[in-house]
Amino acid sequence: MKPIALVLSRELVITALLLLGVSFVVFIILFLSPGDPFSVLLEGQMSSDAAREGLREALGAPKAWYSQYLAWLFNILHGNFGTSIRTGLPVSGELLRVGLNTLILTIGSMLVTLLIAVPIALYSAARGMNRVSWPLTMFAYVVSALPVFWLGYIVLYVFMHKFGLFPVFSGTGQRFGMLYSLLPIFVLGVGNGTISEVIRYLRDEMGRVMAEDYIRTARAKGAPVWKHSFKEGLLIPVTEIISSKIPFILGGAVIVEQVFNWPGMGRMAWQAAQDRDFPVIMGIAIMAAVFVRMGSMFQRVVYVMVNPRASKE
Amino acid sequence: MRRMLLVLLLMVGVVFSVSQSAEAGRKKDGRADGGALNYGEYGRPSTLDPITSNEMISLRLTELIFNGLVGINEKQQIVPELADKWEIAAEGRTYTFSLKKDVTWHAKEGEEAKPFTADDVIFTYKIMMHPKTVTALKTMFAFIDNAEKVDDYTVRFTLKRPILNALAKFSFKIIPRHGPSNPLYLTREDAFVQNPIGTGPYILKNITADREIVLVANENYFKGRPHIDKFVSKPFADQNIMTQALMFNAIDMIVLVNPRDIPEIQGDKRFILQPYNALSYSFFGYNMRNPLLADKRVRKAFTCAVNRQEMLDSFFNGQGTIISGPFAPGSWAYNLDVQPVPFDPEKAKALLKEAGFTQGADGFMQKDDKKLSLSLKVPIEKESEAVKRVVLAFKNYLKNIGVDIKVEFKEWQAWKEDVFLEHDFDVVFASLVFDDSADISSLFHSAEIGPHKYNFIGYSNLEVDGLIKEGKDTLDHEKRRTINRKLHAILAEENPYTFLWTLTNYAAYHKKVRRVAIHPYKFFSFADEWFMPEGEQK
Repeated sequence: MKPIALVLSRELVITALLLLGVSFVVFIILFLSPGDPFSVLLEGQMSSDAAREGLREALGAPKAWYSQYLAWLFNILHGNFGTSIRTGLPVSGELLRVGLNTLILTIGSMLVTLLIAVPIALYSAARGMNRVSWPLTMFAYVVSALPVFWLGYIVLYVFMHKFGLFPVFSGTGQRFGMLYSLLPIFVLGVGNGTISEVIRYLRDEMGRVMAEDYIRTARAKGAPVWKHSFKEGLLIPVTEIISSKIPFILGGAVIVEQVFNWPGMGRMAWQAAQDRDFPVIMGIAIMAAVFVRMGSMFQRVVYVMVNPRASKE
Repeated sequence: MRRMLLVLLLMVGVVFSVSQSAEAGRKKDGRADGGALNYGEYGRPSTLDPITSNEMISLRLTELIFNGLVGINEKQQIVPELADKWEIAAEGRTYTFSLKKDVTWHAKEGEEAKPFTADDVIFTYKIMMHPKTVTALKTMFAFIDNAEKVDDYTVRFTLKRPILNALAKFSFKIIPRHGPSNPLYLTREDAFVQNPIGTGPYILKNITADREIVLVANENYFKGRPHIDKFVSKPFADQNIMTQALMFNAIDMIVLVNPRDIPEIQGDKRFILQPYNALSYSFFGYNMRNPLLADKRVRKAFTCAVNRQEMLDSFFNGQGTIISGPFAPGSWAYNLDVQPVPFDPEKAKALLKEAGFTQGADGFMQKDDKKLSLSLKVPIEKESEAVKRVVLAFKNYLKNIGVDIKVEFKEWQAWKEDVFLEHDFDVVFASLVFDDSADISSLFHSAEIGPHKYNFIGYSNLEVDGLIKEGKDTLDHEKRRTINRKLHAILAEENPYTFLWTLTNYAAYHKKVRRVAIHPYKFFSFADEWFMPEGEQK
């Protein structure tokens, strides 16, 4: 078996088990939390017992928790995520729509993070701390300590009251609306708090690799040092740190979506949680878990491509 | 030259023929047609049909898409809508409606518009009352015994027994027989609930990827084509951003302005702030199952202890009315002779002492060596900030008279479970919508005590029970008014709730939108009359 195929198949098995675990835990939490979707459907009215009975009749009597879970699992395996209790729309379509928006936001913001962090890290790894790298590093540290909700509102405030622009992407239908979508991406990229960690990690890794014997050899025979150190010193650390930070970035995305009216997963999760919209909550939990697993699978694949021996570990 | 003349003539011809065909459905009030109105909503609607939907955003949309048999005009009078005229016979037990004959359903593209007939009315009633239909409306229409089709344009409803103001209830929205895919009952899984077909002034065109809901004018609307070409409902996840969207002309209207943003909009000459009654009220309710609170002197002491005007002024910019009972102020049921209990902490202390409490060394009232300490359960809702302030103010007011209040904020569903099912609370803070026929039986009648019922405070008073029943049975409006005035006086004296206030809602819109009348609850009822003068349509 090729190393990559081996790693991929192993990762896929882990992913499947993990998704099963995630769905089970989320389901149990939902099951134990107070309130039920029935009362949400009758919200705002004097709901009589008769009305509640009718509703149960219409939606089917609630089964024991394990059979509810198994039924859900069975449907998922057939590609059916169910329909939203609140809107009656199929969950899979909704998930695809908002998931894509969130994916754009998170991947975009990761690129922003890397664009800022990688040059600073490489520069300071190559030159050590000097008059240029020190202030840059400090600046990056300070910036990544800013909470994302605060940064979001400040950026909005500055754009509105200083520049007279209304940088909200969705729901406004204005010209250049697409350009404004860069703003939340930027805010999340800067404010997700990972810049400083990326810098530190990269700098250390790069420093370590630079001190390796094979780099010294390369340097001695006049071969390009960057080319030799790229895989070990940059590619692997970057994929490692990105994959481990995806959960944090997703968490930040919830807030950024709220502030910038971005129609993504976070907003949908927020609404669904309030409505006890079980199928939607479960769908989003699975989706988020898939995102996280995709990140670590990517990291594993890159790692094995660089170092095929690792597949035997 | 000759060719140009020909082109010119052709153009004139085209314009003429177009204007002639459009002339058919136009309103004859000489106001301009055209323009688009983008309005902001805080959140997204659940469903877009009038039967399964149950929140305000959907309610406002269905008001644009559908009609009832009767409607309500700006003076709150009942007027014909889908029904031309009606006859009430058999001593108020049968209502016979003659339907308008020229009404058609919204046509889907490439299809012929189907006519509206009596079958649709019967269909709507049957589907609404079907046990498997997921709707909160059933109890409201339980008073109807039977609906029958007399001919294609006549329907007759038979009531179980005559009730007062029954006509107003026939404003429920009619849906088409060819709408839902399941002809027996309607659930949220039916495609119809996201793709409604109505008879109303606006037709659902599409829902965009950003979940904006686009409605276009119904050229064949039976009251004449609405003036404004397009209504777009835009969802916002944040109220501050929504207000800013208005300030930056990204939207033209906000249906419900966050009280905090009122001053900002007020100071801007481009916008109009229009008040409309919220028709809901807030209160503190007391659990009668707690023996301490079963004493009406204690409850009255609490009402005396809170300064309602101060709270209203400082938390809501004074935008509201203090109330003394469960009826909408200004409505026929409200008893103006009952004044709200004035703020008087000394009297409150005196009342507590009368009830057998003594003030301990720590300043707290006690009886039989037990401190007067109560739990207050508060639901966390979307606009929780003002609620938090009210609740904390309440805690402080009561501390001043020696009562210890432990505030517990609960997530909405958890709160409902505690209050409606377990009855595990001493005091609650909540808001309710005034019943449109001033019926308070579900709140204060002792038969309504029980799990999931609305007399969650467990209030039981034989006199009140009797009056409520008498009021429900009578057909004499004057008598019912007298009874409601009496109920109001009793409840104000007994203080099962400390009634607080009804808030004034504000809509804000760009002043290019003219002749804006707003229904206090349904909002868009008169939107077909709104217009934008030519030249200001953008």
